[in-house]
Amino acid sequence: MSSTISLTIDGVEVTANPGQTVIQAAMDAGIYIPYLCYWPGMKPYGACRMCLVEVEGQRGTPASCTLPAANGMVVRSATPQIQELREGILELLLSEHPHGCLTCHRSELCGPQDICLRHVRVTDRCVLCPKNERCELKDTVRYVRASMETPLTYAYRNLPVETADPFYDRDYNLCIVCARCVRVCEEVRGDDAIGMVDRAGTVLVGTSRGTSLLESGCEFCGACVDVCPVGALVERRHKWNKAVREVQTTCPHCPVGCQINLQVDARDRVIRGSGVWCEEANRGQLCFKGKFGMEFVSHRSRLTRPLIRRGDVLEEASWDEALDLAAERLGAHRGDAFALLMSPRSTNEEAYVAQRFARAVMGTNNVDLSSDGRPEQVLPLGRILGTMAATGSVQELEDAGCVLVVSSNTTEDHNVAAVPIKKGRRRGTLKLIVVDPREVELTRHADLWLRPHLGTEATLLGGILRAVLDEGLEDGEFLAAGCDGLDGLRDSLAPFALSAVAESTGVAEDQIAQAARWFGEERPGAIVYALDNVPLDQRTPLVETLVNLALVTGNVGRPSSGLFPLRNGANEQGAWDVGCTPALLPGYVPVDDEAVRGRFETAWGVAPPSNPGMASREAIEAMQRGDVKAAVVVGDSSAFSDDALHAMGHLDFLVVQDLFLGDLANVADVVLPLAAPAELDGTYTSLERRVQLVRCTVPPKGESRTSSWALSDLARRMGASGFDDTTPAALMGQIASLAPDYAGITHARLEQGGVQWPCPESDHPGTPRLHADGFGDRRAALSPLQAPRRPAAPPTEFPLLHVPGRVLAAQGAGIEVVRTNGRSAVRRGETVEMHPEDARSLGIVDGDDVALQTPFQRIQGRASLTGRLRGVVGTTALFGELAVDLDASTDPDPMLRVPGLDVAPARVTRTSDG
Amino acid sequence: MAEPFEALQQEARDRQATLEARVRVRVGTAVCGHAAGSAAVLDALQSEVAAQGLTATVHEVGCIGLCYAEPLVDVQRPGGPRVFYRNVTREQVPALVTAAVAGDGALPDLALGTLGEGVVPGIPRIEDSPQWKHQVRVALRNCGDIDPWDIHQYIAAGGYEALSRAVGTMTPQDVLDQVAASGLRGRGGAAFPTATKWSFLVRSPGPEKYILANCEEGDPGAYNDKGILESDPHSLVEGAILAGYTTGASMAYVFIRHGHEGPIERTRNAIQQAYDAGLLGERVLGSDFSFEMEVALVGESYVSGEETALMEAIEGKRAMPRARPPFPAAVGVFGKPSNINNVKTLSYVPEIVRRGGEWFSGIGYGRSKGTAILCMNGNVTYPGMYEVPFGLTLGQVVVEMAGGAPDGRSVKLLQTGGPLGGVLGIDSLGTVLDFESMAAAGAIMGSGGIIVGDDRVCAVDLARNLVAFCQFESCGKCFPCRLGMTHLLDVLERISAGHGHPRDLALMPSVGAAMAQGAMCGHGQLGFNPISSALRSFGDDFRVHIEERRCPTGACDGPYRRPMRTRPVATGEWYAQPQHVRS
Repeated sequence: MSSTISLTIDGVEVTANPGQTVIQAAMDAGIYIPYLCYWPGMKPYGACRMCLVEVEGQRGTPASCTLPAANGMVVRSATPQIQELREGILELLLSEHPHGCLTCHRSELCGPQDICLRHVRVTDRCVLCPKNERCELKDTVRYVRASMETPLTYAYRNLPVETADPFYDRDYNLCIVCARCVRVCEEVRGDDAIGMVDRAGTVLVGTSRGTSLLESGCEFCGACVDVCPVGALVERRHKWNKAVREVQTTCPHCPVGCQINLQVDARDRVIRGSGVWCEEANRGQLCFKGKFGMEFVSHRSRLTRPLIRRGDVLEEASWDEALDLAAERLGAHRGDAFALLMSPRSTNEEAYVAQRFARAVMGTNNVDLSSDGRPEQVLPLGRILGTMAATGSVQELEDAGCVLVVSSNTTEDHNVAAVPIKKGRRRGTLKLIVVDPREVELTRHADLWLRPHLGTEATLLGGILRAVLDEGLEDGEFLAAGCDGLDGLRDSLAPFALSAVAESTGVAEDQIAQAARWFGEERPGAIVYALDNVPLDQRTPLVETLVNLALVTGNVGRPSSGLFPLRNGANEQGAWDVGCTPALLPGYVPVDDEAVRGRFETAWGVAPPSNPGMASREAIEAMQRGDVKAAVVVGDSSAFSDDALHAMGHLDFLVVQDLFLGDLANVADVVLPLAAPAELDGTYTSLERRVQLVRCTVPPKGESRTSSWALSDLARRMGASGFDDTTPAALMGQIASLAPDYAGITHARLEQGGVQWPCPESDHPGTPRLHADGFGDRRAALSPLQAPRRPAAPPTEFPLLHVPGRVLAAQGAGIEVVRTNGRSAVRRGETVEMHPEDARSLGIVDGDDVALQTPFQRIQGRASLTGRLRGVVGTTALFGELAVDLDASTDPDPMLRVPGLDVAPARVTRTSDG
Repeated sequence: MAEPFEALQQEARDRQATLEARVRVRVGTAVCGHAAGSAAVLDALQSEVAAQGLTATVHEVGCIGLCYAEPLVDVQRPGGPRVFYRNVTREQVPALVTAAVAGDGALPDLALGTLGEGVVPGIPRIEDSPQWKHQVRVALRNCGDIDPWDIHQYIAAGGYEALSRAVGTMTPQDVLDQVAASGLRGRGGAAFPTATKWSFLVRSPGPEKYILANCEEGDPGAYNDKGILESDPHSLVEGAILAGYTTGASMAYVFIRHGHEGPIERTRNAIQQAYDAGLLGERVLGSDFSFEMEVALVGESYVSGEETALMEAIEGKRAMPRARPPFPAAVGVFGKPSNINNVKTLSYVPEIVRRGGEWFSGIGYGRSKGTAILCMNGNVTYPGMYEVPFGLTLGQVVVEMAGGAPDGRSVKLLQTGGPLGGVLGIDSLGTVLDFESMAAAGAIMGSGGIIVGDDRVCAVDLARNLVAFCQFESCGKCFPCRLGMTHLLDVLERISAGHGHPRDLALMPSVGAAMAQGAMCGHGQLGFNPISSALRSFGDDFRVHIEERRCPTGACDGPYRRPMRTRPVATGEWYAQPQHVRS
């Protein structure tokens, strides 16, 4: 419908879409107009005045980044007058930006170690700038061919370089005040951690009142570093290293599937990463994990050779020795006495081989992911809707009318999924409702924050569902077209009267009603949930309620709507898709589905066992009981408790393939070095079903290999056939032939960009939204709710619940930033938030010193009687503290174990006298 | 329809009759009077009148424009003229009260003159004075006459008649036609025809549209916007409501720089009174038109007077100009269509509607209709706020009205239209006062401030001073302004300190050209004006500084001889900002 605009830029006929600016039209047409403050994807700003152009028939020289393209416009971007003007402005700019090397004919020849014969100060030399050769200012100077012979006085700002905060350095001597960092922080991330300070000639970027980033509300996503055109903001690690190549791959830290450009230096080390702006999965955004957590790939303590336990010590061995030993010992444990636990960071291809190994070679369905799998997140989706995955696309959330976030610490666990939510919220078009007893970062942005008692989330959502129906906010048309069971659902809602729900959840009636109204009226609505801290028996009822709520309001299959289960591991979705789960074969075929099992027998030559296997939780319990006697574990996991590790250590035989010789590898009989996610080719499937390539960025360290290579080799040594072709592309071919949703996906196709399954044909474009045309040949059956259940009485030893929270900024919380060894750290008095009634029964008054004791930790703090829930005590930590810990961690892969916010039973005692 | 207003008018007339039946003492308490000590005089007058047991009414008025004579007290006996006493001190009050309030005499020695019908022996008529006789008071019609705290005095003086007529009998198009016929042009500096500007907003889709009244007025030497708000806030309120009625807007923001308590408090009071009288809020004067108004404050920033920066400030953001297009009439404050008018512009509107556009267009000269409100200051004998019709010459205003330079010195230069305006030489005194002629002379009308310099003033020093202001007030957003201003100041300080180099005379225009063409808003685009105009008229001053390394007037040898640190060197102080005091 929208017609295109045609205009002429520098004599070239160019077409543009309505709403595009001239610089965008020029970029699309491959015409370069220099710019420094403009950034595609952000609102035009118009400060640097590099992109000035002349327009025929218009006065003056408008900036092309703010000039809307119009039909018939004749634009000239490089007339002598414009060039002269640009040169004049650049001269002004360089009068405050170090540029010693720009005036030097040796500039291309000189290296950082060379002594400058021109007496240019160290701080003025470009070759000593961390951004040398990737400096946009330098490129612009070269394009404009500024003469650089200017009588303007040059002044260096002489500011100390800010190196105290985690992860990145800020050298404001190099800042050109283009404000890209400020804008990306405000406009794209919604954080406002940095702003403009001062005015006129002394204007700079900084934090409010000059605080450290730890207090300013920085979430260390590094978006500002990515957009900085000069050397002002630079990642601290490998700061001065020069990249020789850049490879786009998928981030291995969470299932959002962010596309990241990894830079590699001449020694084949991954030195830094930046978000890819034109990818739909993350639209250029990363988080602290992806941006600063790729160190583990090139870490010096990586395992490089296989190890075999001889006596008490692990000794280096060859792959042949290690695999022969494994083949021999595992051969004795075929059947259900064997379990295979895969890392959720494994690629689809690795996961596919692993499940085939377990089923075809070991003859067991005991294969699962080692992450803290929450199958309850998706099983009800499969049961009611027919597909066990998120129904929509994450970036579409920006345009939602209402987003309901349930028990999810999105900003820490699935950071980039929170970005579109915050963006929409900031634009004012999105109502954000957070259901979580904890104070998570999103509560800061929430229009409504409901804090139910732990374990009553399902009851609360049931109350909201009932209020939606009571107020007649359901989507009758949608229900009539595709859903059954509304009457049954209505009947089951009888116990969910507003007052009863309010009473058992501790959430006020008007808040529940408000949430129902917003979710019912502000369409499209989306539900994002992770089930953090939800008790096991409440998970399924909760997810069923959420699915019901989405269906009743017609929020499935429509743009910007849907259900978004936020899973734990980076490729948990893909691993399920390819059958790396105890009850499902590739393509979500139940292991006991006799009708379809034949397909696998034909493909593999062996029939998979038909009894469902043990999930990781059960498998570990079976190990402790001694029912499982041998195991292969790929990759360490934060879900392995000390008890689990102990049990694994006492197995008859344990093969571990891992990156590091950590707690897990140390108890193994055979340790195999694992190729890191940046060292292999393959695919990940993100939580929004987007299959994306993982590309080999650097060669595998030492002799490390992919798990698919190792397990295939092991299978061959154990006499199995069909494990010959281990190239990832061929494995994807096998997956595509077995899982209909993947039928149209090949590695060659993914080179053009990710594809969201279902993709049944090679020319199928992929499916951004499930159920856009209803539910196929079936109808969705609304499932009646279970009667609300009161949470079990707490143990008397720990009568309270400790609910931790984390915030980006805490004004006036008595925070002190101390600097030791040049690094900022937060020191603050802990505040223990309690309900006044609880405090009274414990004889605690406001301001008392108290001790909070949980089974896992002890916290000293000052009581604040501002809590709103009986039986709950809260403490809140700054996000900055987490960043400091991660930055200072000696763990080679700290991002694997980012501490979550776990609710724990607790007791509080008064420690002060009087 | 007009009934509620007639009741208001009747009440106002009754009160006015009571007021005029007694001796009425008015004290100028605008900021000029306040600075001269009017608070003490007012206080002394009130206690003296009370002590002597008199029935006279003592009330505040704003500024009548004769600022050189403040504190100005005038005593009006029933039926007589206002007798003005100049530079009254607290000590003179008892004698004044005894003679002029209690008795029916006067103090000719202390008197400035009389205003109004009637003659007092020995006291000249102000109407005959050069300061008054050229004046045509339209926007300032009530200034110094009525009590700015009292809506009734405004209504008694014909106030809100225009509004009543507009919402009662005129369509918005009728009002727009009147404004178009008047030829009124924006008084904020750009001189854009007001009716045309309004018509943009009329065409923008509603219902949420905003009128913004700009009283940021950061120009040094300009105080007419604040003067109007201090002296006659209701004329702005009425003008803004009329603008809202005409354009279909829903709300007005009056935008004042924080710290100017006089204008802020008086405007807030006026808005509240207007709400109470049913002139604002739901269904204005019983019509179908509803309108809201609020005072918005902004931090100290000159650039926040720029229309898009002002909108950023109202939204609570850092006051930095936005890129245009989109223009405010399409996307303004809070993303809604908006129209920004200067306080003076809006204050003309009630009189234009009341007396007709034709009447207004009969005043003035050429394409500049109506009057100019001038703030005369600097080295003049009679500094003040004068409203004159367009068409007078600069010489008439500066020499005749303001009395030229004091102490027998000669006028050397004029600086008009604020710091971004031009510096004019003595040869410009023949220039006719209207938008076009001023622009042709290399200056602007701007906000109406005229700063006069006598022969002691050094053009380099003045330019340095002006550029120092402009540099400090740059928001720092666009590169040409942020850096260009800084370098211009750097060069001027160098020249001023006797370290100039001949090439500096070429360097300044080259920096200026980058700013004029490259800068994002008017601040940077006009930022070179003070220097270019000073170079044109007083090139010799610059040459003497550079070639002979001396200042011809000695002004540069003053305290500013010490080079100021204005290069963009943040010494680290920027992040050691003071902690806010916790309340």
